[in-house]
Amino acid sequence: MFSLNAEKQSETQANFVDNKLSQQVQTIVDEVGKALLGKDHQIRLALCCLFSGGHLLIEDLPGMGKTTLSYALAKALGLGYNRIQFTSDLLPADILGISIFDQNTSQFTFHPGPIFNQLVLADEINRTTPKTQSALLEAMEERQVTIEGETRILPEPFFVIATQNPVTLAGTYPLPESQLDRFLMRLRLGYPDQQAERKLLEMSTEKDKVEDIRQCLSVKDVIQFRKQSSEVKASGPLLDYVLRLINFTRGKDDFHFGLSPRGSLAIMRSAKTWALMCGRNHVVPEDVQVILPWVVEHRLRATLDDDGHTGASLVQRLLNEVDVID
Amino acid sequence: MDISYQIPRAALVWLLAAVILVILPQSIRMPVWISLVAFSCVTWRIFIFRGVLPYPGRIMRVLVVLFTLVVSVTQMRNIGIGLDSAASLLTLGFVFKLIEMRQKRDIYVVISLCFVMAMVAFLYSQSVLSTLYIMLVITATIGAMIALNRSSLVSDNAGTARLAGKIILQAIPLAVVLFIVFPRIAPLWAVPLQTGTSTTGVSDEMSPGDISQLGRSGDLAFRVQFENISPPLHQDLYWRGLVLDDFDGETWRRTRTSSSYSVASALADFQWDWEDRVNKNGNPIYYNVIMEPTQQPWLYSLHLAESETQEFYRSRNFELFNNGLISQRFSYDLRSFTNNQTDLILLDSARNRSTRLPESGNQRSREFATQLRDSVASDRDYVYAVLSHFQQNEYFYTLNPALLAEDRVDDFLFNTLEGFCEHYASSFTFLMRSVGIPARVVVGYQGAEYNRFENYMMVYQYNAHAWSEVWLEGEGWVRFDPTGAVSPERVELGMEAALGDDPAFMEDGLFSGLLRGNLNWFNTLRLRLDAIEYEWNRRVVNYDEEVQFEFFTKLFGEVTEQKVLLLMGGLASLVILAIGLTVIRIEPRSKRAPLDKFYFKICKELGKINLERKQGEGPIAYRNRVCVARPDLSETMFELTDLYVKLSYGENSQNDAQLKVEIKNLKVMFARLKSHLGPLARLKQT
Repeated sequence: MFSLNAEKQSETQANFVDNKLSQQVQTIVDEVGKALLGKDHQIRLALCCLFSGGHLLIEDLPGMGKTTLSYALAKALGLGYNRIQFTSDLLPADILGISIFDQNTSQFTFHPGPIFNQLVLADEINRTTPKTQSALLEAMEERQVTIEGETRILPEPFFVIATQNPVTLAGTYPLPESQLDRFLMRLRLGYPDQQAERKLLEMSTEKDKVEDIRQCLSVKDVIQFRKQSSEVKASGPLLDYVLRLINFTRGKDDFHFGLSPRGSLAIMRSAKTWALMCGRNHVVPEDVQVILPWVVEHRLRATLDDDGHTGASLVQRLLNEVDVID
Repeated sequence: MDISYQIPRAALVWLLAAVILVILPQSIRMPVWISLVAFSCVTWRIFIFRGVLPYPGRIMRVLVVLFTLVVSVTQMRNIGIGLDSAASLLTLGFVFKLIEMRQKRDIYVVISLCFVMAMVAFLYSQSVLSTLYIMLVITATIGAMIALNRSSLVSDNAGTARLAGKIILQAIPLAVVLFIVFPRIAPLWAVPLQTGTSTTGVSDEMSPGDISQLGRSGDLAFRVQFENISPPLHQDLYWRGLVLDDFDGETWRRTRTSSSYSVASALADFQWDWEDRVNKNGNPIYYNVIMEPTQQPWLYSLHLAESETQEFYRSRNFELFNNGLISQRFSYDLRSFTNNQTDLILLDSARNRSTRLPESGNQRSREFATQLRDSVASDRDYVYAVLSHFQQNEYFYTLNPALLAEDRVDDFLFNTLEGFCEHYASSFTFLMRSVGIPARVVVGYQGAEYNRFENYMMVYQYNAHAWSEVWLEGEGWVRFDPTGAVSPERVELGMEAALGDDPAFMEDGLFSGLLRGNLNWFNTLRLRLDAIEYEWNRRVVNYDEEVQFEFFTKLFGEVTEQKVLLLMGGLASLVILAIGLTVIRIEPRSKRAPLDKFYFKICKELGKINLERKQGEGPIAYRNRVCVARPDLSETMFELTDLYVKLSYGENSQNDAQLKVEIKNLKVMFARLKSHLGPLARLKQT
């Protein structure tokens, strides 16, 4: 479940082109890497997700550095940041905000909740009740919230990085498929390798490192990045490959359900961003293969599935059985 | 707990349609009450579906079984064990199964029974029309199967019909091939077919009124095709059937030693050798006859016929017999010698047989004969005198002659003066025998209708005829037709010309003679349809072991076991291949772009050194793998892959001309790679 081999392998596949963009990305990765040691590929994927304008779900055991990653990302990208700790008694109003009667003005004034930030860390999202989980739904998809009948626009850019513990742990409410589908990627961090862990132990405290991270990009750069990624070219043969991948998941007995059009759009969007981050202006099949596990794993489910983690083996089948060139 | 399966509406509609279609032709042959039972079962089934009526209970089912038992026993007693009783038993079981069709498997039973019923229908008729009809039935049955296996929500009947039609069309070539090559194995046991049906055609007894009865029927008796030559004139078309030489004052009979119809040898007395009794003059006429079933063993032919290919019994009176009753359409080839003389020397026993008359009766005729014979010089003159007697007096040719009194010959010759051919032939022969001239009655058919579309002739039951043969010194047996003296049109032009206005003519037929004669287009259509039917019979129904053998000999030369095995094996594998292809349904691969084709070639080439691209491996990952495994190839691989990736996935879409140039470059690189790989591959092999 937390294997590292696949990630190492996929990193070597990337076809890097050295240019301003890829250098920029490399700087951020290095910067964030100061806080999260030995996890360059995951950092890169997290960046890819944010640059694609998608929300990120990080799923791992407690203490693996989920929060550190999101905090470091917010700092490196220079985004306004807030963290919501999800607990079982959290209410929607605690996230979205509430109107409170002001004695001085004799009026209700709206006190925005922590959601009104560019980067929101929804920590341990599956520890709260579905009612509160769904409060995030509109915010994530529409980038706006409706409170007391009034629709309020969220800041631009708006990212949600949610962390969750595996559903097999006690005291979790699994996220419904509808909500899982709204996350562009689901990442796993995994244990660091020995070398990184040694380095980690040598350091004094973790918190200091995050404080040291300097801002590498402005908000404008982030928005610009997102715009550029949509202009990356996907050729006919590549679209054919993606179509074959998607069709493979549909109408098969092994797949409980196929990928939704939202899923296929997510693949294309992430692949384009990945290509851009590698300094290219066109997508190659390897881009798709790198991001595919993280984009579709949480959207797929085998027919016999009791903990929602059969997606990984299905993705392996996708990668091995669908040929790149037909 | 009784949860019965609810059959989909569309499937039920198709199934009931198939059932009704398959029962319809049976209901024509079966007693009316069986049809009533059948259709009430269909109605009951519909009501069960609608929830108006319940499924039959236990008591009802027991009653139904008892009913079927009683019916089948009585049927067997009444019409004997045979096709008819078996078919009606099958039909009853079939329709009763309908009302207790609860589960899906019951429906499959009914569907299978539909196919069996369709096969039973072939036992009755194998004509073109019934074949087409059975195909319709099978299409409906297949439609029922399709509808049954479709989702009950879909009731796309047009789609079902289309699919069923497609299946039938696909099956036809296979059926044709199997029909041609499948070995014709003789049945292991014979079913007594059509025991209940009466014999048709000319009988071996002739009383006044028998042949005129046939004159009312428009049914086909047989079809004839002459080989190479144009057919003889109408007045020469005397199709000899039987020779009747025993007269008891009322009825002419064939002298026979055994009463059994089925033993042809008994009817033929014994196998006679004709050769030393005949003079064959002139060229033989070759012809083929396809007879409709008669349930009688005798065959019809022009005078003095013999067969080269088939073994028939030949009687002393030059009749031909098949070994066994003609219970199906029967085809035979004959050759006849028309200018012939038979029995130039008449044996005493034959003379006795041919002059024998009852001791008494018909005195007036006998006296008339003696007087007439005394007035002329020779036997021949006497024959002509009798014929002119018929011609000059007020004799009348009709299908409805007056009934005759005790002395029939007397009554006809001197009182009523009206009769059909049997009256004339009978009295003429009587007049001959009274003066001691050997004479006999011959029954068969005279004339034929020519079908110009397929160049053959049709002989109908109304062509049935009786005439005489008289033995004259020095000439042998000579045919005389007294009917021709009374009504020359009958002999020269045919029945329709002679009796077309007679309301009794063909009154049993589907279309009256009037309609038939007068409507030109109708006549053409009738001839056309019959021509199709004729070809069908000749080529399909008659396709037996012998024809099959001949056909293969024509195709492949001598038929050896080896060749047959090869052919069968080849066809079997063809069929299996076809089935396999449809089952596996290999989806045609979309045509690869030339660039991809070329890239696959590269991958294949690298496969020679065990570095083939894996399924799902992208070009860059592949390149990296190859470079790690074979650093010596990395330069070429980089070049090749980069170009390929650029062309296939690059930002600038290439136009065709550019692409061609680039592919040329790619080819140059590939050649380099190949030259590099060649020695390596060889090295690996050694």
